[in-house]
Amino acid sequence: MSTKTIGDMSAAELAELLSKVRSGDPEAWGELYRLYAPAIFRFCRRALPAREDAEDATTEVFMKVRQKLGTYDASRPFTAWLYKVASNHCWDMLRRRRIRQDLETGDLETLPLEHPDPSQIERLQAEHTSKEVGKSLAKLPDRARMALVLRYYADMSYDEIADTLGVRRAFVGVLLLRARHQLREVLGEGGAKLLADSAGGNT
Amino acid sequence: MTHFDEMTGLLYLEKQLDADRAQEIKTHLASCDSCSRLLYALEQESIWLRAALVAEDEPVPARMIASPRRHTSPWAWILPLGLGLGGAYTLWSGFIDPWLGQAAQAGFAQGDLLTMLFFSGAFWEGWSSVINLMGFLAVATLGVVLIWFVRRRISRNTTTFAVVMGVTILCALLLAPTAGATQVEHGDPNYTLAAGKEVKTDLVVFASRTRIDGDVDGDLIVWSQNILVNGHVKGDVIAFGQHVNIDGTVDGNVRVGSQVLTLNGSVARNLMSWSQTVDLDEKSKVGGSVTIAGAELDLDGKTGGDVLTFGSRTEINGDLGGDADIHGGPLKIESNAVIHGKTKFAGGRPPDVSPSAKLTTAIETNIQRRGPDYASPGYYWHGVLFWGASLLLGIALMLVAPGFYFDGENASKKIGQAMGTGFLTLIAVPFAAVIACITIVGLGVGIVSILLWIIAIYAAQIFVGAWIGEKILGAKVGVGAATARLALGLAIIHAVQMVPIPFERPLIGLVVTAWGLGALSLAIYKNVRPQLAVA
Repeated sequence: MSTKTIGDMSAAELAELLSKVRSGDPEAWGELYRLYAPAIFRFCRRALPAREDAEDATTEVFMKVRQKLGTYDASRPFTAWLYKVASNHCWDMLRRRRIRQDLETGDLETLPLEHPDPSQIERLQAEHTSKEVGKSLAKLPDRARMALVLRYYADMSYDEIADTLGVRRAFVGVLLLRARHQLREVLGEGGAKLLADSAGGNT
Repeated sequence: MTHFDEMTGLLYLEKQLDADRAQEIKTHLASCDSCSRLLYALEQESIWLRAALVAEDEPVPARMIASPRRHTSPWAWILPLGLGLGGAYTLWSGFIDPWLGQAAQAGFAQGDLLTMLFFSGAFWEGWSSVINLMGFLAVATLGVVLIWFVRRRISRNTTTFAVVMGVTILCALLLAPTAGATQVEHGDPNYTLAAGKEVKTDLVVFASRTRIDGDVDGDLIVWSQNILVNGHVKGDVIAFGQHVNIDGTVDGNVRVGSQVLTLNGSVARNLMSWSQTVDLDEKSKVGGSVTIAGAELDLDGKTGGDVLTFGSRTEINGDLGGDADIHGGPLKIESNAVIHGKTKFAGGRPPDVSPSAKLTTAIETNIQRRGPDYASPGYYWHGVLFWGASLLLGIALMLVAPGFYFDGENASKKIGQAMGTGFLTLIAVPFAAVIACITIVGLGVGIVSILLWIIAIYAAQIFVGAWIGEKILGAKVGVGAATARLALGLAIIHAVQMVPIPFERPLIGLVVTAWGLGALSLAIYKNVRPQLAVA
């Protein structure tokens, strides 16, 4: 079994591996899955509120990858393409289930244009661990969580986020800032209660 | 320009504004502390979010780590497991079990790993046993490496693999150390080997008082309160005790750890001692070199090789056949002293040499000053190097774990809390580590804790430096600004500590260490505390 990681693999090696996958080589497919499945699972786990959903989504994403690999443009980074497939799939999954509670659209009027006190933001950062933030993310409305994951985990551009979430590009910044506000609310006063009330129901 | 809003700040940070607007914001930031602080808080929030999202909170399902459709041979893991178990058994039966047995014979509890490690030093029998052990470990490692390389061929060529494994295991077993013949005596409470009697093998003694009047045709290894060797030891003498007297003859080396060592007899080879008081009597003879570390050292006998000592007082009144290299407190060379080789001395004041002493060469004296030499450029150069090293560590921490660095920097702003925690950590960790070392399970934890504590003490200055830098340069945004703050803060700490004011250096060092260590501890606590609110 090869022990290469994504970081160890050169562009030429990856191109060769993808070529073998396209030609139907089962060993190459296994290698591709071994290399990228953990990363895609982690992405899905952050994008979806339940672990079981993330496991199912990872399997389904790889089924889609197998079908769509012919459309992959080799001039672009493969990981970015993979994340795009995964994010589209996760977003479709959430939409199909109709579990999104937040509004599809919005405008700047719903977001107060203010100059908040930085110490409030700093206080939240000082008081909460990564684990608490991670758990709080799972409590956010789907689109808010998705926006944060796409931007700060998958490092997607505003254009890619807009494309995935089906919103105008100009709206991405608003989405991100609103998501931050919602996260601060969950973590701030009353956040603990909110988390406690919903604990176990959505993870 | 009035203060910009949060949305504009975020878009500026994320480089989503057009060039003109971005320039306008940049210009405004240069003169507006309020907006700079907001931008800094938003940037830190981005880092915080990234760190939270990247953090591994749940394991990846096992089926996603292994490739699907892959049929691996069970031999791939059965054989390395077998080799590993075989190696572990050999180590246990050949080394650890005998150590524990010997420790038990000496009346020590078997559960104390420290005792075992201590005894491993007492039973040191030269490099040959280590070479055996290393040989075994090397072959075992080679086996693992071979498995690694041939693992892809296992299913295709099992015969080749079996042959390679067979040869490897055979080599490992052949090289496995074998126990030598040893007579072990446990005093009741004392042990005496009477004159005229002879032990034909190595002799290991654990007793309250040990007296060797007879002959030992091998090594003598003794753990005893009082040890007296009047007889003849044909091998080495390895002795741990309060008082060790060697009045007889030793054909090999002597290695002693004791409070007092007195040598009246002869040692054919080398003498090495860690003892508070060492007295090489005028009748004593050492054929080889003498290496001693202790407090009171009297060298009145005859030595054939070089002499190296580290003592707080050394007196030489004997015949030294080789070079003498003396380190430490006052050196007195008396009238009967003869030194055939070169004499070197490094200490606080010039040696006292009797005019009657016979020295082949003049003493090469190096008078060592206490404290730093402020006139030396090297002192300042070292200061710069130490500053660079601490800055490098700070930058590495900032880049590798920005969330943690930021937590520590924030915690350092609560000065009282950080200092209180720091002083507590400074004192409590070593105590806890020493207590942990008493148990076999806790030994590893204790050693690791001490190592981490030392690293943390060094890293403490980073957070204090960052705090000082921020007070002077302000909380500007970006890695460059953070690095500049850190560099300036650390430079101030190092510069202040180099000022020649009595007690200033240790005092500043203590404050910085406690403060930074507290900040570090609070940052660690923040990341490991129980998640009550979100449980």
